Amino acid sequence: MEAGALSNPVLRARRNLTDRIGDPLLRGLSGLAAALAVVVLVAIAYEVAHLAWPAISKFGLGFITTNDWNPVTERFGAAPFIYGTVITSTIALLFAAPLSIAISIYLTELAPARLRRPVATLVDMLAAIPSVILGLWGILVLGPFMHDTIEPALKSAFGFLPIFSGDPSAFGYLTAALILTIMTTPIITSVTREVFETVPGDLKEASYALGATRWEMVRQVVLPYSRAGIVGAVILGLGRAIGEAIAVAQVIGGASVIHASLFHTGSTMAAQIAAQFQGAPGALGKPSLAYLGLILLAFALIVNVVARLIVQRGALKDVDVTPTEAEAL
Amino acid sequence: MTKRLLSVGTALALTISVAACGSSSSDSSSSANSPLVGAGSTLVAPLMSKWQSDYASKTEATVTYGAIGSGGGIDQITSRTVDFGASDAPLTEDQFSEAEGVEQIPWALSGTVPAYNVKGAPENLKLNGEVLAGIYLGKITQWDDPAIAKLNPGAQLPSTKITPVYRSDGSGDTYAFTNYLSTVSPEFKSTVGTSTQVKFPTGVGAEKNDGVAAAIGQTDGSIGYVGLAYALSNELSMPLIENSAGNFPEPGVESVEAAADAVSKIGPNNEISLADLPSTAKDAYPISTYTYVIVPLESEKADALKKFISYAISPAGQSYGPDLDFAPLPKQVVAAGKKAIAKIGS
Repeated sequence: MEAGALSNPVLRARRNLTDRIGDPLLRGLSGLAAALAVVVLVAIAYEVAHLAWPAISKFGLGFITTNDWNPVTERFGAAPFIYGTVITSTIALLFAAPLSIAISIYLTELAPARLRRPVATLVDMLAAIPSVILGLWGILVLGPFMHDTIEPALKSAFGFLPIFSGDPSAFGYLTAALILTIMTTPIITSVTREVFETVPGDLKEASYALGATRWEMVRQVVLPYSRAGIVGAVILGLGRAIGEAIAVAQVIGGASVIHASLFHTGSTMAAQIAAQFQGAPGALGKPSLAYLGLILLAFALIVNVVARLIVQRGALKDVDVTPTEAEAL
Repeated sequence: MTKRLLSVGTALALTISVAACGSSSSDSSSSANSPLVGAGSTLVAPLMSKWQSDYASKTEATVTYGAIGSGGGIDQITSRTVDFGASDAPLTEDQFSEAEGVEQIPWALSGTVPAYNVKGAPENLKLNGEVLAGIYLGKITQWDDPAIAKLNPGAQLPSTKITPVYRSDGSGDTYAFTNYLSTVSPEFKSTVGTSTQVKFPTGVGAEKNDGVAAAIGQTDGSIGYVGLAYALSNELSMPLIENSAGNFPEPGVESVEAAADAVSKIGPNNEISLADLPSTAKDAYPISTYTYVIVPLESEKADALKKFISYAISPAGQSYGPDLDFAPLPKQVVAAGKKAIAKIGS
């Protein structure tokens, strides 16, 4: 409303003024936002550590190796849950990684053009299934199938291995791992597909021109070029697998001792916290679960840092490697 | 379709605004009608929703309740984020001292019942406490175990492996069940013990009543435990459990009531255990349990709390129980409750 009264030079001065304020303001606000993220992370870690303190001072580092979780005797240890987390996520990724890479290769290189989009969308939609629904499906469909078909077959074929010994069970590490496979596959697929799409057409064409078959092209061009991206995608899936609580709690069977057999019931760190935090009895119940949460947090951070290092190193290597490989073709 | 939804929405909004008007006007008139917020036990939730509507129509006071689980109820009242908590398990000493100045009053009576799914086993299979303890300790592993066969003479029992199912989350049902097993079996008491969360040496853990029911439904040879009302309304197959008199009463309101009538001992903090029944209680259901309301002794809403809890344990409040599979409170428990209510806010 004052603009009409202002002469040109004043307007210019005003604009300069907003410029002068605007830049620092932008820097300040966005810096604040960035700082907020850091503050939240630190505050959460502090709060969890604070809550966990009674358990930390009582059990010390022995907590990590204690293979027990008994709320009645108040003897708590993280080993069964660390084991459960590691074993279920590892198995999930062993299945999900090759599956996802295969899906991505199909979608970027092999599928007819009009199929690519719908199939990719369907795979993405798999990620949209709420985990509690997936868990229910695990209880009602996957679990009984594991108990009746898969586990007896594994047992009769590989029963001499301790991991396939014992009685088949609808609930256990293996069922949880398969649920996690279904959860992580769309995430890994989505990222690897994007990465495969960035492989330069020139390189692929060159490979074909040299007489490579499609498989040779994928093996010699697409996969090496995408290595860092694939690792990043798998780590992203690992993050999901480590952190998933609800669906795992529904199908893993909530046992708190390490068992060698994959058929046996167990639990993971996230599932144990989700199931037992609300109303955990005793003076050490809650602190011990918080301690478990702290270990889970450390796990997630380590996985993230390792992923970053791998992706960084891989990215550098790719710059060195890809052109030479392309030359070699 | 959209139109109908809209009109439903409008109706809802109207109801809410009317209700809000109602409560705000009563707010100004007397503090005994100020709105209450509670949280806890899922077991008591069906009875609570009856109480809420009936109490609101009689007094115009609203009671909001969140069925978040007994443990959650204890947490919430300890941090005073609600006006009252509800728990199926009585508070432990630690919990009492942490909650600082709360009163625990039994206000409903129900039971925890085992449920089983065994192909080829007879209906109403007979079991007793020792057998249940043996199963949950991993000592009895097959349905044709001699101990089970002895209780069911002449019955055809399959050799199916027994899969015990338990609650993996903290639960009042786990408390009632382990309290019972610890009472009948010294070995269970020493190796597992009594709590809302325990470490079972064997079996499958599932979340909430629904998870346990689903796990039982999906696993041949399984046995688990759920709340009485849940088991009855979902028509789960329940075994008959032997009581101290050597009878096998059907789980239900009558047998739970019989158990409560047989126990006159009220412990400190109004804690009442129905696990150790006298042998004179012929029709008593052996795994009966009280569920408690936990209220702060000092609170701004003391008058409202007193009024609501007095209503809940009154014949009017208790009269809704039987339809929802809750047994009415025995006289001496009501008397103890009244005494405890008098302490609130004084």
